[in-house]
Amino acid sequence: MLGATLLVMLVASINYQLNLGYVLTFLLAGSAVVAMHISHATLRGLNINLIAPGAVFAGATAIIDIKMNNPGQRTRYGVGLAVQGTDHWAWTDVPPQGSSAVQVAFHPPRRGVYRVPALTAETRFPLGTFRVWTVWRPAAQVMVYPAPEAPAPALPPGELQAHGTTSTARQASGDFDGVRAYRRGDPLKHIVWKKWAKSDQLISRESSESHGQTLWLGTQDTGLTDSEKQLSRLCAWVLQADTAGLDYGLRLGRLEIAPAHGELHKNRCLQALARQ
Amino acid sequence: MSATALSPWQRWLAAPGHLPRDSRDTLFMLLVIFWVVLPQVGNLPVWCTTLSAGVLVWRGWLAWGARALPSRWWLLGLLGLTLAATWLSHKTLLGRDAGVTLIVVLLALKTLELRAQRDAFVVFFLSFFVILSNFFFSQSLLTAAAMLIATLGLLTALVNAHMPVGKPPLRDAARIAGWMALLGAPIMAVLFVLFPRMAPLWGMPGDAMSGRSGLSATMQVGTIASLALDDSIAMRVRFEGAVPPQSSLYFRGPVLSTFDGRTWQPLRSGFPTRMQPAAELRVQGPAVSYTVTLEPNSRPWLLMLDAATNPPRLAGLEATMTSELQWLTNRPITELLRYRAQSYTDFQHGPMRPTAGLQDYVDLPPSFNPRTLQLAADLRRQFGSASADNPQLVAAVLERLRSGGYTYTLDPGVFGQHSADEFWFDRREGFCEHIASSFVILLRAMDIPARVVTGYQGGELNAVDGFFIVRQRDAHAWTEVWLDKKGWVRVDPTSSVAPGRTGTLQRLQSPPGLIGGALLGTVNPAFALQMRAMWDAMNNSWNQWVLNYSEGKQLNLLSQLGFESPSWEDLIVVLAALLTLTSLAGAGWAFWQRQRHDPWVKLLSEAEIKLTKMGVHLPAQCPPRQMARQLQTQLAPTHPDLAAFCDWLLRLEAVRYAPAIGQIAMKTRLATLQREFKQLPWPP
Repeated sequence: MLGATLLVMLVASINYQLNLGYVLTFLLAGSAVVAMHISHATLRGLNINLIAPGAVFAGATAIIDIKMNNPGQRTRYGVGLAVQGTDHWAWTDVPPQGSSAVQVAFHPPRRGVYRVPALTAETRFPLGTFRVWTVWRPAAQVMVYPAPEAPAPALPPGELQAHGTTSTARQASGDFDGVRAYRRGDPLKHIVWKKWAKSDQLISRESSESHGQTLWLGTQDTGLTDSEKQLSRLCAWVLQADTAGLDYGLRLGRLEIAPAHGELHKNRCLQALARQ
Repeated sequence: MSATALSPWQRWLAAPGHLPRDSRDTLFMLLVIFWVVLPQVGNLPVWCTTLSAGVLVWRGWLAWGARALPSRWWLLGLLGLTLAATWLSHKTLLGRDAGVTLIVVLLALKTLELRAQRDAFVVFFLSFFVILSNFFFSQSLLTAAAMLIATLGLLTALVNAHMPVGKPPLRDAARIAGWMALLGAPIMAVLFVLFPRMAPLWGMPGDAMSGRSGLSATMQVGTIASLALDDSIAMRVRFEGAVPPQSSLYFRGPVLSTFDGRTWQPLRSGFPTRMQPAAELRVQGPAVSYTVTLEPNSRPWLLMLDAATNPPRLAGLEATMTSELQWLTNRPITELLRYRAQSYTDFQHGPMRPTAGLQDYVDLPPSFNPRTLQLAADLRRQFGSASADNPQLVAAVLERLRSGGYTYTLDPGVFGQHSADEFWFDRREGFCEHIASSFVILLRAMDIPARVVTGYQGGELNAVDGFFIVRQRDAHAWTEVWLDKKGWVRVDPTSSVAPGRTGTLQRLQSPPGLIGGALLGTVNPAFALQMRAMWDAMNNSWNQWVLNYSEGKQLNLLSQLGFESPSWEDLIVVLAALLTLTSLAGAGWAFWQRQRHDPWVKLLSEAEIKLTKMGVHLPAQCPPRQMARQLQTQLAPTHPDLAAFCDWLLRLEAVRYAPAIGQIAMKTRLATLQREFKQLPWPP
């Protein structure tokens, strides 16, 4: 549009022999050329860092945190970032010798492991007549778990452990047998906070089911034939079992994850489901 | 409560800072648009000004309260109204004046439709065009300054519109816009100097030059008086040598010889051309050489000091002299024109003997000015009816003007049908055109051939730059009387009524306006005169260097640069060459920038090259610590300089990866490492 305006102004200047018209037209043209360089300088030398994205469930939006760092002496105005090919721009100004954070959303189509999509950084500053852009393909992955089935049926019955001592009647009672030192992965709600307040040591309650019974989750337990639906149900069960604080194991074809509990175990299981 | 109560005024002043971003930006843009349109107000129809101002104020009110914009139907209605009103005002929708009217209203209306970014763009670019349209009416220094401010304001608004985050202060946007314009100025200068000036691409609309005052082709009693109030400059003259006396500074314009009772017009003769009196110019005495810078008058008239024998030197125009000594060009003068000419203030012209063609110059319309005809008959009876008595009769009429109680005034009022009668008998006062017209009517009534000559008389010397300035208020009407054996003789009847009008610099000053009086009344007149001289000199250089920059000057510049017989194609070549050079320089700079690595990386790669030369095998992308390890494994442990190399490499690593050292500390340490690198015991 600037080009058309300049052309019309030039023609008017020629036709009406306006020397000041020429001055104005050329001043605008000169400013536009300078604006092009300012646009270019807005992106040149800008450092973009990706903060490793967390895992998401399929169907949810993966939020990618990006930090832009400006080593220069001037504010970089109006830097936009978006997943390449989309039109959802996150705009920010990056202060001199400083940084600013933006988030872009990314919709993984289905479960699996995805590369973080190519990102486009763009600016139209200062006049909007030039678009300066760059495409960045970050070397990072997003883990996408299967979408948990909702509502999911109740967990399958667990198998009694060979060396188990407690009866199945107590399986869901939540009675506690005793306490022990905190181990990584213990649910927060099992921590005896009063003890921690007194002694500064983390003590976990040991509930009966945590060693009373072992739950095996496998594709054949789902009673479904469609493999994606099986994975969805397994995913929902893993989450349920984790919330209930049960020990659970996962059997996916030849892959077998031994029963355990805790955050790490849950992630391991979910990752296995994602990669399946 | 400890908070002090703000007066409504203070609150109002503080408000822009607290306004939401959108409102602030819109109000700023409206302010700029006001500034852009303001100088146009005098050139626009009243309805256009009112409508635009109303719309802008309305938009401002909406922005202030962050209210919703009106619906599109409003806009369509207003647009239809505008088109109709434009048609009524200008009888067309095309052409310059109608175009300016439309574009101003469109700009105002478009502000009501700022919905998407695209709309904002339209507003910006319309505004730039309105700025340009200001130059249709004035290209003065003041206009240029005002429009520079407008351009900077618009650029500021445009930059601000591209700061999408938060509410950055307008100051930041203004700073960036200022820098942009400042850095763009050299590009502007190069383009301005070298862009080939061409003739209009297509025919200019008829109204292209209207609105500029000047002499007219006809004279109706009362028109020159309106020029007399016009202080604008008609032409500038630089004399080579002494300036001729004021009393001979008659710059000749149109000669008016046919009178229909109301209006004086150029000669409409019933005689064939060969029977009309020829110019027959005979000159004596020394020639006066001078250069004229003529303001555009949209007429084909070249104003020359009476009388010039040779055509002035002009670029691209042809000049011819009429039989009435007026100089004409082959097309109207639509831009500042400069020419060099030679005139002789001592001259005779016209037939020496009576010819039939002179009959045109005694024609009077019947049934006008009966009392003047009676006066003529009385005078004839008194002084004799032979043509030899004519000089005496002329002298008698001049004497009557001198002693008959006639006065010179700028405000003679409106004359009726018998204008000469009114002048000679009733009012006895008039401006130069009344006096000249009445004088010629009286002489013609006595059968003495006479005609009215219009042009400029006098002017004033600007002591600052030595230019002689002729203003519109120096417009004058005088007469030429044909006398046997003498030809046409210039007679200025006004000088008989008011000798000061031609002899010295005295002019009737129109009463200053209220503001002008208040301002000038307090200033020392000599100082005011000096200021004015400086201002004129500045305007003159502006005209000479900017407004009068033409193809001729461009080609002169090229020939100074060493081009033989330059043409506009050469201009393109120079322009293209400059553009290419600049682009290459830019590309080179970008390439160099790309090459200029981080100094740390550069140092590391230098070390890598040197070590490889020493015969150390290094894997690709090898960090300093790994290099040190490679040295330890590949060099003999007894190598005397092993420790020095390793120490340097590890310190290189530390500069980059040691926890948080400041920028400055890092720079000095890096400088140290660079120095030490050269002192390392490299093998020759």
